[in-house]
Amino acid sequence: MNWLSDNVNQLALLGAAAILILTIGVAAKYFKQIKEGKSEGELKEENWDGIGEYKNNSPIGWSLAFIGTIIWGIWYWLVGYPLDAYSQIGEYNEEVKAYQAKFESKWANPTKEDLLGMGEGVFLVQCSPCHGIDGTGIEGKAQDLTRRLLKEEVLDVINRGSAALGNPNGQLGYPMGMMPPGLLSGADAEAVAEYVANGFKGNDKGAELFQSACASCHGPDGRGMNGMAPNLREYDDKIISAVLEHGKRGIIGTMPSFKGRLTPVQVKAVATYIRSLSEGA
Amino acid sequence: MFGWLERNPFFFAVGVFVVIAFAGLIEIVPDFAQQSRPVVTAKPYSLLELAGRQVYIKDSCNACHSQLIRPFKSETDRYGMYSLNGEYAYDRPFLWGSKRTGPDLHRVGNYRTSDWHANHMWDPTSVVPGSIMPAYKHMFTNVTDLETAYAEALTVKKVFNVPYDKDMDGDGKVDVPLGSYEEAKKRAFEYALRVAEETKRQDLVDMVKAGKIPEIVALIAYLNRLK
Ligand code: HEC
Ligand code: HEC
Ligand code: HEC
Repeated sequence: MNWLSDNVNQLALLGAAAILILTIGVAAKYFKQIKEGKSEGELKEENWDGIGEYKNNSPIGWSLAFIGTIIWGIWYWLVGYPLDAYSQIGEYNEEVKAYQAKFESKWANPTKEDLLGMGEGVFLVQCSPCHGIDGTGIEGKAQDLTRRLLKEEVLDVINRGSAALGNPNGQLGYPMGMMPPGLLSGADAEAVAEYVANGFKGNDKGAELFQSACASCHGPDGRGMNGMAPNLREYDDKIISAVLEHGKRGIIGTMPSFKGRLTPVQVKAVATYIRSLSEGA
Repeated sequence: MFGWLERNPFFFAVGVFVVIAFAGLIEIVPDFAQQSRPVVTAKPYSLLELAGRQVYIKDSCNACHSQLIRPFKSETDRYGMYSLNGEYAYDRPFLWGSKRTGPDLHRVGNYRTSDWHANHMWDPTSVVPGSIMPAYKHMFTNVTDLETAYAEALTVKKVFNVPYDKDMDGDGKVDVPLGSYEEAKKRAFEYALRVAEETKRQDLVDMVKAGKIPEIVALIAYLNRLK
């Protein structure tokens, strides 16, 4: 009788016995009533095809609950839900506000690891369908984010200026505004494009021409003079947020604008993540 | 107190009706009257977009895709602004869908491009590894049925007063022209050529130039319209 030492089994057995005894007792009571019982009490006047009804008062608890429900119903109709202008959108707005406040306080000072994790999440959901899960742009279908610029891209921008980015009057919203077309041409343009695409290495002619034709806006080191013009060396926070805000229609294809869809922290995070791709981890 | 009601089924039925109708009246009617109006930016579909919509219906995209972004943060984060009733004013029938095997598409025009759609519809796994969405290669050769789309546009214009050929925003210009079949067809071909060029597939461009719009081009015009 090992199983009886378990107290759950003991309780279950006790319960089963209690149910059995109660069932037999109640059944016996009703059998007795059917055999011996007589109708008592006062009948109502109405009857339905000979079937009558006793004059019983409804139980107090039941009556109170019934009246309570009626009062609640009136309140609900007139003051509660519908006429009190409940709105799902309102609830959504509050939910978002509360979430945003929490989000901001939680990520007020994110570490680099935080940003990398968050950036990877954003990238996989929003960017990987075009840029590929490894960021290499799926065989030229979108920008290869593991490197900065291709020679063809730079050449196209030199030839067409801001029009090569989608808008001849300036596309990315830099303080310098627009980049004029045709600053260089022919072999000179080729040399600079090669120099820039190569990560500002080699190619003395390109380096020289860059200093004379491009450095006034993009800075002598090509880093964009603290956000005056795009950084041509690496994906800094500014170029990522500018592209996400304005989109870009370049030689590779169309990069849609993500305006208003990512919070500033998320933009910073995705920028950090993109930089980590070319750090060759 | 209400014993007499039990003996008068007619009045009992009236009573039940009043009680139930009251709830419907105050919950549904005022909201419906307001929300069923087109939102200011809603415009009827152009001929090509309408033809693309018919392709979408024909190939049952709505069996796997919804077009309804609910007001939950998790959804608006991924897809953009929640959907409003008035945005569907010119959708006949609406394509809300009820199953999301794939993602919602109500604003897919904001974050996908023509060339991406062409790659994806040709072979989904080429851009989304492991995708279970079927490829739709037949759409690249099937020819769009512009006549049926025109019949639909003309019908909704005449019967439901859908504002084709009207100046909707009061700037003195017709917003969505329809006109005669010839005019509408000419415009659809111009539009189709633009979309075909965006897909960067020469076979599609050649087909449009040869006077046949592939279904995929109409479908992409429709998907780009979803914003
Ligand atoms: C007058 C200032 C100016 C000069 C000179 C200039 N740029 Fe620019 N450049 C800009 C601005 C501003 C932008 C951003 C344009 C926009 O937003 O449309 C830009 C954008 C670019 C881009 C696109 C960056 C991206 O991320 O897509 C490239 C590449 C570029 N410039 C290369 C060059 C080269 C190479 C030269 C020298 C031949 C040069 N620029 C000279 C101002 C300048
Ligand atoms: C619909 C496809 C698509 C999606 C989604 C997309 N991109 Fe792009 N992106 C492109 C294409 C195409 C280009 C190349 C544009 C060109 O230069 O021709 C590009 C270019 C870029 C560039 C280079 C800009 C420059 O001037 O150097 C950056 C950075 C970038 N994308 C970041 C992102 C991020 C971050 C996301 C996700 C939040 C994202 N993209 C989502 C298609 C896409
Ligand atoms: C068997 C279910 C199924 C059917 C039918 C289907 N899809 Fe999909 N679709 C998916 C799945 C799963 C994804 C997500 C994976 C991917 O992007 O390929 C998806 C993704 C997409 C996307 C990308 C959306 C985004 O936000 O990344 C588009 C656009 C799309 N489908 C359009 C269509 C169209 C148009 C049709 C009809 C011709 C269609 N789908 C039919 C399952 C389906």
